Amino acid sequence: MLPFLNIGPLGLPTAPLVYLLGLWLSLYAVDRAARRLGHDPERLYAVASVALLGGFIGARLVFILLHWSSYDDNLLGIIWPLTSGYHAAGGALIGAAAAFFYGRWRDLALWPTLDALAPGLIIFLMAVSLADFLGGAGYGSLTSLPWGVTQFGVRRHAVQLYEVLAGVVALGAWWAVTSPRFRGLDGRPFLLAVAVYAGGRLFVDAFKETTPLMGGGYHVVQIVCLVVVLGALVWLGRLSAAKSAGTIASTH
Amino acid sequence: MRERLEWVTLIILVSLMGAGWIYVSRETSDAEPMPVTTAPYVGNLAPDFTLQTIDDQTITLRDFTAEGGTPVVLNFWATWCPPCRVEMPYFESVNNLYDGEVAILGLNQAESATVIADYARDHGLAYPLLVDDDMRVNNLYGVLNLPTTIFIDRNGVVREVLIGTISQAVLEDRIEALLE
Repeated sequence: MLPFLNIGPLGLPTAPLVYLLGLWLSLYAVDRAARRLGHDPERLYAVASVALLGGFIGARLVFILLHWSSYDDNLLGIIWPLTSGYHAAGGALIGAAAAFFYGRWRDLALWPTLDALAPGLIIFLMAVSLADFLGGAGYGSLTSLPWGVTQFGVRRHAVQLYEVLAGVVALGAWWAVTSPRFRGLDGRPFLLAVAVYAGGRLFVDAFKETTPLMGGGYHVVQIVCLVVVLGALVWLGRLSAAKSAGTIASTH
Repeated sequence: MRERLEWVTLIILVSLMGAGWIYVSRETSDAEPMPVTTAPYVGNLAPDFTLQTIDDQTITLRDFTAEGGTPVVLNFWATWCPPCRVEMPYFESVNNLYDGEVAILGLNQAESATVIADYARDHGLAYPLLVDDDMRVNNLYGVLNLPTTIFIDRNGVVREVLIGTISQAVLEDRIEALLE
């Protein structure tokens, strides 16, 4: 855990630094992914930028709307301080909506666009986990296993790093399925990467101490991840079946 | 047809495995309670202390939280720290808003009572400002960076530690959570 990087008298908070690094890396990844898939990198870079900017502004706006009574007599508080006061789910929804409508406006095909955006999305989520690890948020449950890390004075599962590992595996899956050998089905790289990442998060969330719970003690994140995995698999099956049907029709 | 069957089988298998894992890893109420130790970390009892305010009142943390009493928001600050100065009006505001429901305590870092009192008078701060000129409590809580805000529930357990400036909305959001 390293919440602050102390350089002389200056204490730099590590979590915002990792977020900034994550933003830059995810945009870079989208650029590289677009080139690998043979798409125009500039258009996809623009979609990713709209998603990130929309997400940032949306997360702030949703939080402000939910706590308007705290802002109506302090309008400066809307823009300062920026270190806290965001609604993650609201940001994700507004960011996705902004990217969707921008993509439609620019006449971008849905699946190829999502295929190129997938690595950027996963890298950003990995950066969030890493920022949590350094800042001390979202920590794991107690463990005596040798790979546990000491956080808050006790040995815990490094669950944020497990999440990063799930991201690495998902990126590996994306890389493999976009190789010349497997390429050819739009949507498959995105759906596979999302399914692998969500499956990983479903598994590792069991070791998280601070995860939201619903009735019966079930982890909300695990249930959402299972829905995402199954949704991705159903779509993969449909795409695969459509391709097979197309192949059979073209041979007749 | 065969491919379709393979996909259906895969989806059923993943559903069963995923649901099984979710069931196995759910939080059960019969889990053994974690021993609560004293430490300035989330899930532990906040270390107790007694300090004087700038008005020469004696404040003891445990007096607030004894027998499920009042939640406490403990803000570590200093007059020379610009981010701390930004959020001081927010603490004053929530102190008025949640008067009696939550204890807001400003715990200064290493400055004299006179310096703190001058600052409080100039900026109209009325909530309790504690003097820790020998850094005893700052060291007890391991405060390295200012501002640091610690949210302590009515049982004296640390619920959250926020490092850096927070807005009034964040402050109210966390206080509402403490009062739930």
